[in-house]
Amino acid sequence: MEKVLVVDAHKCTGCRLCEQVCSVMHEGSVNPHRARLKIMKWEIEGEVLPMVCRQCDDPPCRDICPMGAIDKNDDTGLVQVDYDKCIGCRMCVSACPFGAMDYDVVGKKVMKCDLCGGDPQCVAFCDPAAIRFENKAKDSSNARRAAAEAARAVQSEKDR
Amino acid sequence: MSLSRKIAFVDLTTGKIETKPISKELRRKFLGGRGLDMYLLYKHTKPGVDPLGPDNVALISAGLLVGTLASASSRTHVGGKSPLTGYVGSANVGGFFGPEMRLAGFDHLVIRGKAEKPVYLYLHDDEIEIRDAEHLWGTDTRDVQDLIRQELADDDIQSLCIGQAGENLVKYACIRTSIKNAAGRTGIGAIWGSKNLKAVAAKGMRDIGIAQPKEALAYNKEIINQVTSAKVSKTMQKLGTPFIWGVTNSTGLVRTRNFQLNQLVNADDIEPESIEEDLVGTAGCFACQVHCRGKYFIKEGPYKGTYDEGPEYTSQGAFGAEVGCTSKNTVLVCNHLVNYYGMDNLETGSMISWAMELFEKGILTLEDTGGLDLTWGNDETVIELVHKIAKREGIGDILADSPLEAAARIGKDSERYLVHVKGMSNLHSDERPTPALALNIAVSSRGSDHLRGRPAIDLYHLPEKVLRQIYSNPIPYDGPLTSDYRDYEGKPWQVMWQEHLYSTVDCLGICKYHTVFLGPNMPAYEEWANLIRLNTGLELTPEEIYRAGERGYTLERLFNIREGMTREDDKLVDRYHDEPTPLGLPVVRGRFIDRDKFKIMVDEYYAHHEWDENGVPTREKLEALSLNTLDKSGSEPSNLV
Amino acid sequence: MTTSKERSSLQERAKQRTTGAFRCLSCFKRLSPPKGATHYTCPQCNYEWRVAWFTPEEPRIRGPVWDSYEQLTQDRMKGGK
Repeated sequence: MEKVLVVDAHKCTGCRLCEQVCSVMHEGSVNPHRARLKIMKWEIEGEVLPMVCRQCDDPPCRDICPMGAIDKNDDTGLVQVDYDKCIGCRMCVSACPFGAMDYDVVGKKVMKCDLCGGDPQCVAFCDPAAIRFENKAKDSSNARRAAAEAARAVQSEKDR
Repeated sequence: MSLSRKIAFVDLTTGKIETKPISKELRRKFLGGRGLDMYLLYKHTKPGVDPLGPDNVALISAGLLVGTLASASSRTHVGGKSPLTGYVGSANVGGFFGPEMRLAGFDHLVIRGKAEKPVYLYLHDDEIEIRDAEHLWGTDTRDVQDLIRQELADDDIQSLCIGQAGENLVKYACIRTSIKNAAGRTGIGAIWGSKNLKAVAAKGMRDIGIAQPKEALAYNKEIINQVTSAKVSKTMQKLGTPFIWGVTNSTGLVRTRNFQLNQLVNADDIEPESIEEDLVGTAGCFACQVHCRGKYFIKEGPYKGTYDEGPEYTSQGAFGAEVGCTSKNTVLVCNHLVNYYGMDNLETGSMISWAMELFEKGILTLEDTGGLDLTWGNDETVIELVHKIAKREGIGDILADSPLEAAARIGKDSERYLVHVKGMSNLHSDERPTPALALNIAVSSRGSDHLRGRPAIDLYHLPEKVLRQIYSNPIPYDGPLTSDYRDYEGKPWQVMWQEHLYSTVDCLGICKYHTVFLGPNMPAYEEWANLIRLNTGLELTPEEIYRAGERGYTLERLFNIREGMTREDDKLVDRYHDEPTPLGLPVVRGRFIDRDKFKIMVDEYYAHHEWDENGVPTREKLEALSLNTLDKSGSEPSNLV
Repeated sequence: MTTSKERSSLQERAKQRTTGAFRCLSCFKRLSPPKGATHYTCPQCNYEWRVAWFTPEEPRIRGPVWDSYEQLTQDRMKGGK
């Protein structure tokens, strides 16, 4: 079953620990500009939204790559870059509608989330669980349960 | 590597910018952050320098572990000679600026001189630009950060800035970053205002190299677990620092109506659980899993719909107990306004409550206040005075000065109603029943200050065995320690130990809520030795780290002595000794600080520090701390940058 | 000096933390109110506290019950305790 990063923005405190551990995991250095995910903020409104690679079913980064360097794994669903084929043209960066495909100016290469080989560090470190690593199907079932519980609370209040 | 960051010297008068590396020797001695900040203050100011003159310095210092895998590693110090006290000016701030400054290539900034017109600095890619800020002058602390991001077309920029309070030289104006992070105390914002410096912006893309990445990741996880599993962290994750109110106000340790009562009775509306009802979530500083800042929208009145963060414990006192207000809305609005204008909430509330007592005593009249009714608990007046102080309008112009200056302007015995140490106002805690906490504020290096050495865990009634484990590490201590917070015995050692602990954690750039401040089982020297090694590659023993913290604290003492401080300044206002507490539980009722026992505590405290009976560090101590590259006066520390 | 492989003394002690309890602010007795309780009277000193739960397992003192608290305090002070 494909597992993906699932984001719950309401739980995110905006601390950016995920960006920090992501860059250390991949590059051995702290540098949020080399992280594979990013916390977007609207400070004055108090809003935050973690932006992560969606591991699309039909990834535009793959489709646009002239070298066929990007590929989606049939088993894991991971969209991955083959750096032996990549020429660093950054077409994939332009094509990604989420900005999740990014360019590492220090390492001079494109970069994207590789789910840390199955143990995503952003998930391991996020204490409020704003980012989770879950089966694709679970995304909607969690939301469904939360909405159902809210509706049920209203219902039982009425019944009382 | 993270140790390659530089010190930049910026002269705003000439526009000259110079950068220097930081030697390993200086690192080992002062670590970074507050310690190196104090070294730079001592070294780059002349005795008697005018705090608001061009020869004072505005310092910015990132801690040694800022940005690294050390959990809550965001803390950055700002400094200078304080316009509030004339002694050490130093304040600590979280948020996201520190890591960004390091990513831009800098650890320390020494800003001197005065710009002809308003300017801001832009740090990026090992470079510093001095940029025009005339169009930003007059903006509040939120807009200015937003405008800089727009102007430079970069959302990643983090800024330290001042608001209108700093521009107007309010003596306790602060430095702000993000929505509510503030380097609050000692009036550093007024120093920036005097230099026409509106902001320092940073954006960086340079790696902060980690010495042992895999090990540091694993160890950081361990530290985070140690911190977040603590009861105090779980409490703060939900309630923020207001949680402290549950203990202190329930006991009777909250100064109320300036300093006339020690408990705000029936204040259910500003209890933490009541404030929490208004929170829409919590926010964290860089890489912190405690995320103690509440997020709220003001629900009623003219500020309805405005977003802000907090409030902190301090605001419950400053705009609640001290001024006799019991309205959550007043606390939330005033918290927003001090953030907006950029001034210290603690000092603002203290000055207002002092004025209210003067009004009660007839020293200030309606004529003096321009018709404002300063009766206790008058919510509209408190909110109006925050505006007036920031803009220096009417009575606000007097209250915007330092406590001692304001008392001199008002005269008529108004000084005896001030609640301060060394010219800086006290927190809203009432220390009359707690000698340890009273000693801490009396001797603190930056005036009355709970964050310089408060042994807060003294209130927890911990068994002596546990106290001994904590307080005899890493330096052995076999003197007395007692569980009763009303005792005088053993407290001087606890105060000194906490001073060195906070000094050290401030040098490292880690939040105090990640050490033995409010939780007894939090990380300390052993953990820090590991964090320093794994993150930076520096090998330091827990004792060496302790001595580095002690060295920084000793240097603060030396600076104050250089600027004229004596033993006479290590004191409490008379009311601590002469007026017993009227309210609270039986354990705290009728308590006051005994003058003779207090004197003995100060003597013991000096002795533990190896300072002489006048509070001057002995030559032997200075040599032991290798602060012994002495000049003729015998007080100049080593000369490394 | 401990290595990162060993646990520090503070980390060791952290494992001995108690849960579900708080200390009475008046007499310092450790109290364990029933889960979800909003009020609890200390069996040792008779002070009644308003209780709040910051997690489903962890209680804390929210504040006193002001009226009875003041009366009890006055009585105690008269008794010279």
